[in-house]
Amino acid sequence: MRRWPVIASVMVALGALSGAAAYQQAGPRQPERNGEWQEIAWPFPRDGWPAGKAFRCGAAACGGEVELYVRPKMGFCNCDRGVADDDEVDRVADLDLLSEHFAPLAPGDLVRVADMPGRIRAYDLKMSDGLRHIAVGVAVSRRCDLLVAVAHGRGDAPEMRRAALDFLARSEMTRWVTAAMEGR
Amino acid sequence: MSGRLKLAASFSIFFLAGSGIACAQQQVIGAPPEALNMKLVGTSDLQARSAYQPTIHHQGDRWIAYIGHHGGSDDIPAPVNPQTGKAEPNGTSIVDVTDPSQPRYLRHLPGQEGKYEAGGAQMVRICDGKVLPKGDRNAVYMLRTFGGAAHEIWNVADPANPVLITRIAGVKDTHKNWWECDTGIAFLVSGAPDWRTRRMTQIYDLSDPAHPQKIRDFGLPGQEPGSTGAVPTELHGPISTGPSGNRVYFGYGTNKGGFLQIVDREKLLNGPREPTADNLRSPEIARLAMSAFNGAHTTFPMPGMPIAEFARDKDGKTRDIVMIVDEAILNECNEPRQMVWFADITVENRPMMISSYTVPEASGSFCERGGRFGAHSSNESMAPVYYKKMAFIAFFNAGVRALDIRDPYHPTEVGYFIPAITAATDKRCVKIDGKDRCRVAIQTNNVETDERGYIYIVDRANTGLHILELTGPARAVAGIQ
Repeated sequence: MRRWPVIASVMVALGALSGAAAYQQAGPRQPERNGEWQEIAWPFPRDGWPAGKAFRCGAAACGGEVELYVRPKMGFCNCDRGVADDDEVDRVADLDLLSEHFAPLAPGDLVRVADMPGRIRAYDLKMSDGLRHIAVGVAVSRRCDLLVAVAHGRGDAPEMRRAALDFLARSEMTRWVTAAMEGR
Repeated sequence: MSGRLKLAASFSIFFLAGSGIACAQQQVIGAPPEALNMKLVGTSDLQARSAYQPTIHHQGDRWIAYIGHHGGSDDIPAPVNPQTGKAEPNGTSIVDVTDPSQPRYLRHLPGQEGKYEAGGAQMVRICDGKVLPKGDRNAVYMLRTFGGAAHEIWNVADPANPVLITRIAGVKDTHKNWWECDTGIAFLVSGAPDWRTRRMTQIYDLSDPAHPQKIRDFGLPGQEPGSTGAVPTELHGPISTGPSGNRVYFGYGTNKGGFLQIVDREKLLNGPREPTADNLRSPEIARLAMSAFNGAHTTFPMPGMPIAEFARDKDGKTRDIVMIVDEAILNECNEPRQMVWFADITVENRPMMISSYTVPEASGSFCERGGRFGAHSSNESMAPVYYKKMAFIAFFNAGVRALDIRDPYHPTEVGYFIPAITAATDKRCVKIDGKDRCRVAIQTNNVETDERGYIYIVDRANTGLHILELTGPARAVAGIQ
């Protein structure tokens, strides 16, 4: 008879502990500094794919302020061909999160991110406030899954491309990408 | 033990037993199929080839099933055809189902080399030469895809010995075509090389199948050559109501950001053909945007449905309905649920979703079974036996589901059939901690019905063809004696 309140108390305590742990996992994270790149909150409303990670880089390190958004897109139909052409980058690289109006600056190039092959392409972007931005879209794939990234800012395209690729190649980003692509 | 401890122990046993039940839902070879108001009539293993579209054709005094296949798998890229003794890339299976209890495999017609969606010949439609305006009256024409590389037309008057008539090549992809037999107009889901999307529509006059005449290319503004900016989601497939209905219903998207697009067929066929944004916009009547969580695999029109509940209303007694079926593409519920939606399009420029249907996951612990769980496709036959009364939905590891749709505002499941797995059933894997964890489960991919009322379901995971019939109350819904 006396054991029941004890069991109940233990269960309540365990529940509270797991709740606190879950809150810590789900709650807003403190900005993380990664060199000159600082993690910021994902700025876009919910769409078909879960939110990814967003970062900002200052003018000193990136030749102008740059924001970079990166996320996996699990379930991509071109399982065998992968990101086969520039049109694929236009379609999937999340440029439309920034603006409906973008035009490529030049044909894209082959690229590898976290050992996944794909393509990278630079764009001229017309923002909703009328300002022109430069964007660099990246799409790489593994089997039926994609990783996409888009960087944008008011700097020049080659510098933005270099900064974005250098950042994506960092070991901590590679670890995150690998885990994200495995659904962890 | 006190009463409360007994209660706690009972709860523990309940939860342990519950998890055991979940594990017990895994399919095992030799276990019987799961069924309600549907019965197995006959099977064909389809040479253990991954199957997509079945089309059943009444051909003379025979009934022939033409079944499109996806490409082969990593393990078996080209299964051996026992009839030839040779390894053949998956293509089209041709099966005599005149006696549905004893299907006779007539011929495997190889498709494009390549695995999964990169190969095979997944789509197939059939028209009689005597129905096509300029066809050979003695011919029966099969329009099929050849992987992503081409569309082909074969004469299958002798279904065991098809003869190639013509080929439309030079595309970068293909998918779920529609062919109007009475006019010959074909809406070919293709990837024109210069378009910015993998899948759009190429409209052909195939009234004389030996001499295809291109009419125009069609898609959503932003997909056309030379456009810039955001690219709308790609086409999955159209269904036309022909000259009498004068509408084509296009389904865009797979499992994300879908659209139902309602198009004026006459304007589409006879309007300006140059693929400019304005010309692409011109024949569109309306567009129903779906959630970013869902795509439109099948858009099945059912105009003029009498709604019993509205029978005494002065207006709106009948409604024009389109059933929209999403496609699940990720294994083990790693995406938002893909399901079935009913849209009331009576007022065409204000289409509205009115109801939905999904299989209750808990009814079979389907997220645990392996493979995909969710909708993929519906039957597309408009034969009177089921049209506007019942719909059959391929639901991957939940088999086929029979819906009473007489009141599309309240669709109701009245039967289901989940085939047993066999030694041929292929595994489906997910990544757990970086490693593949694989399970074997049925993956009912596509479904079609014939005028006799038989239901044909085919499996994406190589389990073959199952021919079914309704039983009990489900039979009464369709009015079958």
